[in-house]
Amino acid sequence: MSQSGPHVEVWLRIVDSNWTRKLEPGKIDGMYELTDYPLREGLIEAHEKVWENIAGPGPFWTGAERIAMVAESRTATSCLLCAKRRQALSPYAVDGVHDSETDLDAVIIDMIHRIRSDPGRLTRNMFDQVMGAGITPEQYIEIVGVVNSSVIIDTLHAALGLPLAELPTPQPGAPTGQPPANVTEAGAWVPIAVGNERPGMINGLSDNREPNIARSMGLVPNAVQLFFTAFRPHYALQNIPLELKQSQAEFIASRVSALNQCFY
Amino acid sequence: MLLRASGQPDQKDFDLSSITDDHTDSGVDFGHWLRSLTEAAIQNRWDDLTTIRERAGAAMGTQSMVDALVVASGFNGITRVADATGIPLDENTQQMTVDMRESTGIERFNYAEKSDRYDLITT
Repeated sequence: MSQSGPHVEVWLRIVDSNWTRKLEPGKIDGMYELTDYPLREGLIEAHEKVWENIAGPGPFWTGAERIAMVAESRTATSCLLCAKRRQALSPYAVDGVHDSETDLDAVIIDMIHRIRSDPGRLTRNMFDQVMGAGITPEQYIEIVGVVNSSVIIDTLHAALGLPLAELPTPQPGAPTGQPPANVTEAGAWVPIAVGNERPGMINGLSDNREPNIARSMGLVPNAVQLFFTAFRPHYALQNIPLELKQSQAEFIASRVSALNQCFY
Repeated sequence: MLLRASGQPDQKDFDLSSITDDHTDSGVDFGHWLRSLTEAAIQNRWDDLTTIRERAGAAMGTQSMVDALVVASGFNGITRVADATGIPLDENTQQMTVDMRESTGIERFNYAEKSDRYDLITT
């Protein structure tokens, strides 16, 4: 294992954040307060921080719109159109209207429902359709970040037999905007971060290389920060500080990737 | 690739076909329970998961069972980020996993093949 500077920095960050320290019984409040299962304090704090962040305005969407994105993601799990499409040979073989509880634009609702309910069959065609409706790549990436942060949190709640966390109250305010991001074309659907600018998104990197997954939302640094705040307590590339061997974690990761038909 | 590499410290050689083949034993400790927990969580089989949690916890320990679900839920999000952005494989992964992607069937998940398969029928 390399002990290069960036790795040490990443590891110290893990220790500093009390990622491995467990809550004292009865200390849990807020998210996950209804479970008796042992969860790490750092994970709960990270998820609560993400929830709070989603409720506020992002660079391109208001807090109310961001909360609506989470609501749509949840609705997708019981949407009849999504269910019919999953049974079809192609998601484009079935027309219809999604079950929806928000006033988000129809193309955004479709995008969110597809990401949530049928991620393995997302194609460049879907992305192009969203762009063709006038959504910018930056807006698209912010949606991806919000929705998938909530997927992590919702999946863990449901997997532990808990009711989903209550949606936070949207905070007022217009989208904040952002300076131009430092991105490059690298063969993805969107420009991605140049790389090695935000090391530490994934725990346990042994050097300064940043994998494409950490660069993928580089168009919107706020989305990178949001998503990896949610993700970081769930995994490390080495010396995983969970009661699992690294091989067990990699098996789970591989199996999820296969189930979701994820090439990366 | 990471699953294969994770066996090196213990000089274990895991069966990578277990990633896509339900009937293959991975060789990973408690692999049966890890598979059951992961599949139920990712496939939203919440009623099944109630029983699986109980039995897996008894077999491998409650903390390990919970941590398995922690990893699975994290990857349920991050795989969607990859799928929604169309990011290519990292260069070293691309080069080192050609045979593995073919033998496990993962190659069929590449973006071009998905487009060929799923964009064929358009309305």
